[in-house]
Amino acid sequence: MTDQGCEKYLKDPEANAAHLRTCAKCNAEAMALAEKADVEPPPIDLNALPLAPWEGSSHRAWPLVLGTGAVVAIVALALLDAAGMSPLHVVEGSLTSMEAIRTQLSRAASSLRSASLVAQIAFGVAFIIINGLLIALLRRAPRGIDA
Amino acid sequence: MRRTLRLFLPLTVVAASLVTAMMAAPPGFGARGPLTVEGATAMMQKTAVIAALLAVWMFAAVAVTLLSGREIRYSSVEMRASALHCFALGLVAVTSFALTAIVFSYLIPYHVGVPLLFALGVFAILTKIYGTIAVFHAIGTLVAGSRTREQLATRHWFRGDLAMVVVGVVILGAIRLIPIVGPIIWALASVFGIGTALATKFGRREPWFLAYRAVES
Repeated sequence: MTDQGCEKYLKDPEANAAHLRTCAKCNAEAMALAEKADVEPPPIDLNALPLAPWEGSSHRAWPLVLGTGAVVAIVALALLDAAGMSPLHVVEGSLTSMEAIRTQLSRAASSLRSASLVAQIAFGVAFIIINGLLIALLRRAPRGIDA
Repeated sequence: MRRTLRLFLPLTVVAASLVTAMMAAPPGFGARGPLTVEGATAMMQKTAVIAALLAVWMFAAVAVTLLSGREIRYSSVEMRASALHCFALGLVAVTSFALTAIVFSYLIPYHVGVPLLFALGVFAILTKIYGTIAVFHAIGTLVAGSRTREQLATRHWFRGDLAMVVVGVVILGAIRLIPIVGPIIWALASVFGIGTALATKFGRREPWFLAYRAVES
């Protein structure tokens, strides 16, 4: 009777909950299981976890930013003054370098136009391969924070 | 490792200052022998131009970080997580920009080349600016970033995206002042930056292309 009752209880503990009042063995096992189920997970030590990139990132250290910016600007102006140049010269120099790049581009385009058909085809193939490679590399999902 | 990185910043600044001083020193004091007046003037002008551009980079970096600090941070994290991919992508992208620019220049007589070339130029410049600022953030974080929460809590100045970007500008700018080596390292940083900007789609974590998936029945 007791073994059959135990088997019934093990098959459906909720339907045969009354069996626990008559069987000390099953009652003890049920108590042990309940105690195990009540065990709380171990506490997580947040300080032991690695520092996330976003932690403290919104802080704005204005004294550092303004101080460094002022120092760099003063040094740049002093050097420009010592070299006998004005900030306008730097802008002109940048525009001149852009003009040089544009000249090189138009020279490359005109030499491509006057090149043989085979060279033009080779250039086209290189263009397609490089851009195909670029697209293939762009397809890879960034690792970022999941790394 | 951390102490090595901490020593890196002052040592770089000192080395750059020494080399610049040696190159711009009066005749008789230079490492390569006596400098001519023209050579010294040219060196002085070059240093002044680099310093002025560095100041422009500083203000641009601060402005972009204030506007989109999260995107810059994400790109910086991506660059440190997969540096080789970013560098390879940057190299391929620079080559692609050059080849595409030649093709668009080829199309200028057909009138369609001018707007295409203009659009490519704007895109390339924006990519370079954004990517270089991400490189500044990555270098600043590597050198001056906090490693623990206790360290972060005790800091007042060297914390936050803005501070990391400023530290990166100073370090890379100091390296940029070193003759011969400086421009090479700056160019490599630009390649890294372009690759990072494109790999993260300017820090937005979105795919460049829509993925095709067959409809499941």
